[in-house]
Formats: sequence, C-alpha cells, structure tokens
Amino acid sequence: MKIIGLIITVTTGALLFYAAGDFPAWSDPASPASTYLSPHFIEKTMEETSVPNIVTAVLADYRGFDTMFETAVIFSAGVVCFFLLRISRREDEEPETRYYRHVLTGVTIQLKEGHEIPPSADFERIDSMWTPPDLIIKTGCRLLIPFVQLFALYVIAHGHHSPGGGFQGGVILGASVILFAISHDLRTAVRRMSEKLIGILCAAGVLIYAGTGALCLLLKLNFLDYSALAGVLHVDPITARSHGILIVEIGVGIAVLATMIWIYNNISSAGRYRQGL
Amino acid sequence: MSEQYPALLVVVPLLSALVVSVAGWVNKRLCFPIAVAALGVTAWSCVGLLLRVLDEGVIVYKLGGWTPPMGIAYYIDYLNSLVLPVVSIVALLNLIANKKGIEQQFPDKTGPFYTLYLLMVTGLLGIVVTGDAFNLYVLLEIAALTGYGLLAMGEERAPLATLNYLYMGTIGACFYLLGVGYLYIVTGSLNMVDIAGLLPPLYQSKAVLAAFIICMVGVWLKMAFFPLHAWLPNAYTYANSAASSLIAPLVTKVMVYVMIRLILTVFTPEFVFTTLAVSDAVVWLAVIAIVMGAVLALAERNLKKMLTYIVVAEVGYMVGGAWLGNRDGMTGAILHIVNDALMTLCVFMVVGNIVYKVKGYAFEDLQGLFRKMPFTMAALVIGAMSIIGVPPTCGFFSKWYLIVGAISAGHYGFMAALIFSSIVSVVLFFRVFEICYYEPFADHHGHDNHSGGMDEAPVSMVVPLLIVAVILIVVGLYTGDIVNHVIQFAIPEAMV
Repeated sequence: MKIIGLIITVTTGALLFYAAGDFPAWSDPASPASTYLSPHFIEKTMEETSVPNIVTAVLADYRGFDTMFETAVIFSAGVVCFFLLRISRREDEEPETRYYRHVLTGVTIQLKEGHEIPPSADFERIDSMWTPPDLIIKTGCRLLIPFVQLFALYVIAHGHHSPGGGFQGGVILGASVILFAISHDLRTAVRRMSEKLIGILCAAGVLIYAGTGALCLLLKLNFLDYSALAGVLHVDPITARSHGILIVEIGVGIAVLATMIWIYNNISSAGRYRQGL
Repeated sequence: MSEQYPALLVVVPLLSALVVSVAGWVNKRLCFPIAVAALGVTAWSCVGLLLRVLDEGVIVYKLGGWTPPMGIAYYIDYLNSLVLPVVSIVALLNLIANKKGIEQQFPDKTGPFYTLYLLMVTGLLGIVVTGDAFNLYVLLEIAALTGYGLLAMGEERAPLATLNYLYMGTIGACFYLLGVGYLYIVTGSLNMVDIAGLLPPLYQSKAVLAAFIICMVGVWLKMAFFPLHAWLPNAYTYANSAASSLIAPLVTKVMVYVMIRLILTVFTPEFVFTTLAVSDAVVWLAVIAIVMGAVLALAERNLKKMLTYIVVAEVGYMVGGAWLGNRDGMTGAILHIVNDALMTLCVFMVVGNIVYKVKGYAFEDLQGLFRKMPFTMAALVIGAMSIIGVPPTCGFFSKWYLIVGAISAGHYGFMAALIFSSIVSVVLFFRVFEICYYEPFADHHGHDNHSGGMDEAPVSMVVPLLIVAVILIVVGLYTGDIVNHVIQFAIPEAMV
C-alpha cells in the first residue's frame, strides 16, 4: 500500500513539474495573468467603484458574489460544528458530583448526589478539571482585549484603503473574545455572549451581505449591483458601490466574529458548554 | 421578475437558510415551512428558467452588473437548465418526505439540520448554474462542507466514514482548484466561455494538459468514479436517511454534470476527444467501474449498502457515455443525469421509509414488507425497474442511448458492461423482492399487534415517494421531447 501511495505521489508531482515547464516566466509582465484582466482592474477600479484598494474592489465588488459564498462557507462551518458537537441538555447526563466556588473567598465546595446551589452572585459553578484563576493572566488579558477590539474595528473599516477588511477584522474580533474565554473560563464568556446571540449573529452577518445583494435585486438591478443603492444612500452610483462594499464588509466581520466564537465554544467544551479549556 | 430567475434560484435558498437558522433559535416550528416555501420558490424559478431557455436560448446573467470576464456571470444554456429543475425538485420532495424522520432523529437540532440542507441545495444549484470556473469551486466547498455535516449525523460509524469522505472530497476539490489555477496562469481568465475562447492556440501546451488531467481526477474523486469510489458506500450507508436520500441522488450527478461541462464548454470536445487520445482508456475504466459496482453490490446483504454500490456503477454509465465521444453517448450521459437522480431518490426514499418503520435496512429486516408497507414497496418496484432498465420507466431510455452510443463508437466492451450490469440489477432487486414478498414477517414478540397487518409509513412520507415513482414513468414517456427539445441543443454541433 505504501508503495502504491509513493508511486501516485511521485507521478502527480512529476505531472505538476512537467506542466510548470509551460508556465510564463516568474514575474513576467507579459504573462496572460498580468495582461488580460489586471490592466482593467488597475486602471478602472477607482473610476468604476471609487475604492482605492484594488484588492478590496475585486474581492467585494467585481467578484463579490464569490466572497458572499465564502462567507456562507464560514457560516456553514459554524453550523456544522454546532450540529455535530453540541450536546443538548436533555441528552447530557449531569455529573453526580458538582463543584462550586465561593467568589469572594475562593473556597471550593463539593456537593454529592446531585445536590446543587441555585444560581447566585456568591457562588459559581466550576468543573473538576478546573484550575485556579491566575490574576496576572486575567488582568493582562482584560487590559489587552479593548485594544485588540479597537484594532479589529479599524481593520474592518479601513479595508477600502489599506490591507484588511471583514475577514481579517472579524477574525481579530473573534480572537479577542476567545482570549477572554481562555483567560477566564467558558461559562463566564458564554454569560457575556450567549449561545443564542452568537447563533443569531452568525446568520445575521451573512444575511447583511446577501440581503444587500437582494436589496439591489428589489431595486430593479442585478443581484449585488451596489449602484442600485444610490437612491437609498443619496449618493451617485459610483460612490454607492464603495458604500455597498463597506456594508458587506461589516456583514462579513460579524459573521466571521460569531463563527470563530461558536466553533471555539463547541470544540473546546466538546459540545457541553462547561468549563472550556 | 423572470429576468431575475438565475439569481433567485441560488439566493432564495441561501437567504432562507439564514432565516431558518435564526428561526431555529426563536421558534423551531417555523423552520420547516420556511424551508419548504423556499425550495418551492427555487423549484419554480428553475422550471421557469428552463421554459425561458426553451423560448429564447442561452441566457446570460451578470452578477453585480459587471460584464464578464471582469465579473462573474451565469450562463444558462440547454445543459444546465435541464439539470437545475431536477436538483431543486429532488431536494423539495425529499425534504417534504423526511420531515417526520428529521424530527424523530434530531428533535433538538431541526434548525441546524434544515439550515445545512438548504445550504447544500444552494451549493448544488450554484455549481450547476455558474459560468465561472472559480465560482464553481466556492459553491463546491459549500456543498461539500454541508454534505460532511449532514452525513456525519447518523449511526455510530457515520462520523468515521464521513471523515474518510472529508479527506477524499477535500483532495478532489483541491485538485479541481489546482487545475483552475493552471488554466488561469496560461489564459488569465476564470470565465468558462472566455477560457474556451482563449484555449485553442494553447491546445499543445503541457500546462493545459495538466490542468485538464488534474480537474478530471478531482471531479472523478468527487463523483466516486471507480477506483476512486472507496469513500462513498460507507459514508452514504451510515448517514441518516434524510441526508443520504438528498446526497446520494444529487452529489454524484452534479459532479457528472461538472465533468460534462468541462468537456463540452471549457476544454471543448475537439480538445478532449481529438487532441487527447485517451477516451478509449477512460471508457474502459468506466467498464471496470460498472462491472465492479455491480459485483460489489451483489456481495452485500444490506439494502442501503447495496444501493450505494449501484450508485458507483451508475457513475460508470455516465462517465463512459460521456467519454464515448459521440452524440448518442453524450445524450445518454446527460439523460442519465436526470434519470439516475430521480431513480436514486426513489430507492433511497424507500430505504428512508423502511428505516422509519422497521429501524433497519439489512436483508433480514425486510421480511414481509410487501404486506406491511405495500405503497413503499410499489415505489421500490418502480425504482428497481428503472434501475434495471425496463420500459416505460426512464432508466430504459438513457440506457438505450448509451448502448446505441457504444455501438456507433464500436466500443462493444462498454455495451457488454451495460447489459451485464442490467442483468445483475435484475438479480439484486428480485432477491430483495423475494425476501420482502415470500418470507413471512418474523414475529419475535409473540402476539404483536402489527403482525400480518398493514403498517405503512406516514402519509407525508408515502405521498412524495409515490410522486417520485410516477415521475420516473412520466419522464420515461416524455424522453423523446427531452432529447429533441433540450439535450440535442446542449451538445455542440461539432460532435457527431
């Protein structure tokens, strides 16, 4: 079996090398990829979409339809993780022994035979695998998180002019919440951002993108033709394209943010939403 | 609104998937009606689009209002306007039929299930409708990812079988993407029609050859063409019924469509059949696929797994037909996409009904089913007749075109394989009928109240199934119209 695998790999590799012989030379300005469509994008992007960042314009406007589905791919990943991993409260057998921590003193209490303390501000539920909080890590992360989030918003908003956009900004935003969940615990993080909220945000992000496209369709132009929004936004059709890109980038940011957290919550707690990592 | 049909048929399921996802958190009971309504609108748009294409010819839809090749465009011609209604109607009927099964299996997760179901349909329809090689890949990702999620929920072995599928499917999709990348390097375009226009001077290029090989292998992996089929039987068998009866009829067929699209539109028949001299070898591979699929099906003692091997053999039919390189063979392959999607749906829905009632699909579980579930079994008989190829069911006519194509290409091996597989199908299904008909219902529980009586699946499951069974016959009767008014124009005139 190993030999067959080796033969297949070598053949495939040889085929790829063989084909590479006919490629245009490295960074050849006369190669088809640089002469066919790129000149149009380089010369016309500003006048057609009023977006200085060509990559953003190609990504979110010329090929915005692809990007909408890329966002949908991310959304599907979140739903698949939830669908496969989440264990509903009905199926989840509660452990016999429960642990609680008195918040002010840090004393841990163990209750056996299914006894439980009603939710209150004095006690918080912890798991047996729980490790004591580290003040330095907690405080350090608390200090860091606002700046991370601020930077994320900058990345989303500034996608028109510099590298960035919804995907990158959304990932940074999501990472900030995950950092919070790691430095504290999953229960605290889920209290701040409930599962339902994340699930709805995840769909809402893609809905903003696809909804913008559908709005263009209702305004009698083709799907995702942002110039249809000119009337709604009170700007000329070219600027409307630029604004349309910003709207969908915000949608992408929300979808990516929520999906990152959703996937983390489900994987880190194996679908049980207890302590997390 | 009719000029927006091309966009609607992907946007409606996508938007409804998102709405269903939100509805799942608010009120679970809303999910099913929204999903059905959305697929209804989708099916309506697909049929409307087919009628428009019959009326006006090829339709181009520019997404975002950008002219191709700058932006992405949808080209709806005779080929995909035929496949679109099939995909949407199969998805709609299967969803209605499986409502009870889904609620029985995932009481807490109906929302995510319907969301993934709708996204999967979005992906499949998007693959079929698009005229952009990269856009096809993105939709392929959606269809694959949601497919893994849906298939992994099932029996105990489902996650592992799906993981195997995930590895193979990812390799297949990567191969396709790599091939598209090669094409982009040498042509600078991603638009299918545009690539086809730029390719002729490059027919001798090694990069184009490699792009074609990589794309084909990737697509073959995705459609489970022998010997790349190993992931399919387990993944489809252990999955839940609603998912397997959506995915088994559609995914392999849509991938066959992609292969035919690549041959006919992107690389053009001239390059594939004249410049490359490999069609004979591929048809022989298809012969092996058909024979092995049939033989492996014969070895199974379990209805659902037996059907999955039949799917593998059917893929051989379509690949072989397409690679015969003549008009009849290609007609047969395209017609078989339609017919096989419908008949696979029919038999997998039957399995769904049996699983719902009997909780098993091994041969021992099937005893006495003709008495117990007469309507379901009637549908199985019609589905089986179609797979065997008995007129007037539709399976006969596509097989007929394939055999005619094999004869005019002088490829008697392929003809023999088709006949062999029909004979094996007769054995396979009559063995099942025998078990279901003659052996008494094994009654282990003493005086069980349903021993001997009728115990049919709920009406909501039986009616869609019977509709599918009737469609099998109706499509068979209208084969002539489908071929003369649609498929004939889907194949370039250069192909004789």
